[in-house]
Amino acid sequence: MTEFLQHLLNTLILGGTYALLGIGLTLIFGIMNVVNFTHGALYTVGAYLMYLAVTALGLGFFAALPTAILGGFLLGAVLDRVLLRPLRGADMDTTMLVMIGAGIVLQSGTLWLFGGVAKSIPTPFPDAPLQLGPVSVSWLRLFVLGAAASLIVLTYGLINRTRLGLAMRATFQDHDTAALMGVNVRLVYTATFAIGSSLAAAAGALLGPVYVVFPQMGGMAELKAFAIVILGGLGSITGAAIGGFILALAEELGAGYISSGYRDAMGFLIIIAVLVFRPTGLFAKAERIG
Amino acid sequence: MTQSLLNRHLPALALLAALVALPFALGDNPYLLNALITTGIVTIAAMSLNLLLGFTGQLSLGHIAFFGIGAYVSALTSLGFDVEILWGFRVVHEPWPAAVGFGLAVLATAACGYLVGRLSFRVRGAYFVIVTISFAEVVRLVALNWVELTQGPLALTGIPPFTLGLPGLGSTTLRTKLQNYYLVLVVGTLCYALIARLVGSRFGRAMRGLKENESLALSVGIDATRTLTLAAVISAAMAGAAGSLYAHYLRIIDPDVFLFSTTVTMVIMVVGGGKGTLLGPIVGGLIFGLLPVALRPVMVPEAQWMVFGLVLIAIQFVMPRGIVPGLARLFAWRRAPAPAPRAVEVRS
Amino acid sequence: MTRSLTTPALTLAFVLSAGVAQAQAIRIGVNEPLTGPFAASGTYVVNGAKIAADEINAKGGVLGRKLELVVEDNKSNPTEAAAVAEKLITSDKTPVLMGAWGSSLTLAVMPKLADYETAMLVETSSSGKITTSGNPFVFRISPPSALEAEAFAPMVERLGLKKVDFLAINNDWGRGAAADFGKMLKGKGVGVGLVETMDQGAQDMSAQLSKLKGSDADTLLITAAVDQLTLLFKQMAALGFKKRIITTGGSQNPDQIIAQAGTAAEGTLHLTTFLPWYPEKTPNPAATAYFIAEWKKRGFEFAGVTESFRGYDGIRTIAAAIEKGGAADAASIRKGFWSVDFTGLNGPIRFAKAGPAGSESGQSKPDVYLVKIEAGKVVVPDL
Repeated sequence: MTEFLQHLLNTLILGGTYALLGIGLTLIFGIMNVVNFTHGALYTVGAYLMYLAVTALGLGFFAALPTAILGGFLLGAVLDRVLLRPLRGADMDTTMLVMIGAGIVLQSGTLWLFGGVAKSIPTPFPDAPLQLGPVSVSWLRLFVLGAAASLIVLTYGLINRTRLGLAMRATFQDHDTAALMGVNVRLVYTATFAIGSSLAAAAGALLGPVYVVFPQMGGMAELKAFAIVILGGLGSITGAAIGGFILALAEELGAGYISSGYRDAMGFLIIIAVLVFRPTGLFAKAERIG
Repeated sequence: MTQSLLNRHLPALALLAALVALPFALGDNPYLLNALITTGIVTIAAMSLNLLLGFTGQLSLGHIAFFGIGAYVSALTSLGFDVEILWGFRVVHEPWPAAVGFGLAVLATAACGYLVGRLSFRVRGAYFVIVTISFAEVVRLVALNWVELTQGPLALTGIPPFTLGLPGLGSTTLRTKLQNYYLVLVVGTLCYALIARLVGSRFGRAMRGLKENESLALSVGIDATRTLTLAAVISAAMAGAAGSLYAHYLRIIDPDVFLFSTTVTMVIMVVGGGKGTLLGPIVGGLIFGLLPVALRPVMVPEAQWMVFGLVLIAIQFVMPRGIVPGLARLFAWRRAPAPAPRAVEVRS
Repeated sequence: MTRSLTTPALTLAFVLSAGVAQAQAIRIGVNEPLTGPFAASGTYVVNGAKIAADEINAKGGVLGRKLELVVEDNKSNPTEAAAVAEKLITSDKTPVLMGAWGSSLTLAVMPKLADYETAMLVETSSSGKITTSGNPFVFRISPPSALEAEAFAPMVERLGLKKVDFLAINNDWGRGAAADFGKMLKGKGVGVGLVETMDQGAQDMSAQLSKLKGSDADTLLITAAVDQLTLLFKQMAALGFKKRIITTGGSQNPDQIIAQAGTAAEGTLHLTTFLPWYPEKTPNPAATAYFIAEWKKRGFEFAGVTESFRGYDGIRTIAAAIEKGGAADAASIRKGFWSVDFTGLNGPIRFAKAGPAGSESGQSKPDVYLVKIEAGKVVVPDL
């Protein structure tokens, strides 16, 4: 029983960052119709920015986090401006291949700059965990959950309560009409890609201190983000949030009660099952986002 | 008729002649020969990917799964295994010759291709891309974790090389690099001939019809299910054959054979060389397969990968149709100053 | 006509290059993981190897020639390790290799050694299979896990182990260690409970640890490299995991664990093959002191020495083999290995025959120590 409770607690902690990863990806797909193959690389970049901000710049842990997120935002804006804007209107395969190329450049770029040896990010949190009856959780992970939840709420608010959000929702429904109504669609696209990228960077910056930072860390994160998004239905933010927690639960229980080696397989089995039995995802509402 | 057929295949025949002669020009250079063999094997896989990506327009990013399954099936057939399936029921397999492994690899991957081909009707576009990636990852994780069968991360080692022989005429084991080079060349040529025939046939027209205008193709009576499934089966079987060649040449395989980066390499070969053309994947394969060898003395591997990524991006912007169509257009322009525009370009 | 002109020119070039070859450096192929999960450890080994090469070259080299290390990255992947070995032997023409850190990596390289009849000095790998499979081109200075288990056997009662769980990296190294230590413990009447594995690249072991936390064993034996150990200790602390921890395999870098896992590593025990904290207690104090001083002078972290000393000893062993063999070709060097006899940083290095008769591998027998992390320091516990 204690073991089961511990698994549930682990799920909650892990699910928050998974949801963050998924929301960024689903936002970009829903609004721009781009399958973002740089998502994993942006996650890696976020973690390395966090590492640099804490160690080289000497910023405190809590100041480094927004720095890394801002870095992801700017990088996303640049990627959109340089690579995606000229290809607007090109078919999905073309943008996918360009994004794969950009992802390779970013990932091998971090490997080139930082080398293959994993880095660890020092944190101000105590080693001793918080005891909650029979189960326990580290303060760092608790902070990660809190930060992820805040970012999710912030994103949700941005889309549903701001003018930019309104423009994004209008573009999602019909970008031609939105453009006719005076929405600056180009700006909406750039903002969307930058926000989605900053969420990926945030997930990396949050999980970097929990684990270690290394250039290939984004590969598996990207595939998991795909799983989460498919599970929730492409374009659905609520779906991606719930999808993140479902994937975390499946992984945690799979590793705990079936075999730890198949932990990472859970996401893909979910993808295949969902696409075979309910191709639109569990929570897809194709007609709206938010 | 024969004349035009010869003309049409002249570039391919010239390339074949050059590849046959190449080892003599190289002399005793095991390092370069090794690079040529692995490039050749990946090029065969790229040719098979082209059948899906170039001729039917289905972007399968899990193509490495077929290659890897082919490699594992072939290796396990020739090594033998003894595994417990369920409730203590054991499956014991005694080693068979590598050539049988090759045959089984082709059959097994053809079956997988059938499944993926059927699936491509349920899910389209981005979903199809993601489901193919997932398929490859699940297969990789099975290879990694079913240690009793695959040895997992310990790698399958001591895979025997191919033995070729005719009953009564004796046999020979392909141990040297030169023998393996020609084996890969023969298999590659057969695959090329098969694809060329397919593309020129009614089936080929059906594939292109579906790619360019699906509703029109369906309205003139093209059986979409049959066409796409058959293309997937043939494509997968060819990738499986390439995987088998890989296993018996390297004589060691581990679950990293399923890495996504190899699929990316194949995609770069196809898209860079010219998707939907017969020679494209071969030209792309030779260029991008040997590029790392050329870059090795001047830059570190991670910088090489950056070059690969940049090339992939640049191709989409500068030469979206690839090198072979680009060159063909250039030559056509030289010969006849006013070329008739080829059918309306469907940007893909 | 052109032919008759180029031929003498070629001959001349050949003669010139042959003349240069007299003074040319002896190339040693170094096949280590510089990227991937074992990047940290592989990089340390390479840096240790460079110290040895520089030291030997400063003293005039071997057989009057300098040593040159040709370092290649095997990406922590077995297939890549085999390809790297082939490249080193055929393209770089190295007559002897050192590598390949991990057991699965080394096992993957071994068929290539037999194909090209080139010897390899194995500096880190501990799977028993390496020296028992009948490959006569393998010479190992690290202890196989059975030897490590045997060295640990006398300490079992003194530590008071009752029942032991295992958590091992899922490869030849981890699985081999779990099997060899399990056998030894059973022989001593100690219970063996769960055997959990983790992928070599795994980052989140919470699920395995949650399971191990609930078992009735008093001790957990872990086989993993330093990066994963650091994560494990942090995650154990987060889960309130409170059993006795012993790590095996000699790739723990205790100082790095102290630096990165902090109090989470307090009280853990580690089986290592080098005692850099107490140079006076090592078999060759002068060499140990020189090596550590040089390591620090180059600006590397002290934590790395428990890993890098193997690269240092490895190259020194190869240099000795070249010296004994009398020539820098593959066959002479291989023969030379059998006459190597000097005191390395963790014990005497001389090769005993291991494996099936007629095609024996060489195995040296290094010392094994048990150290403990206590109050943020590495100590040798009184047992």
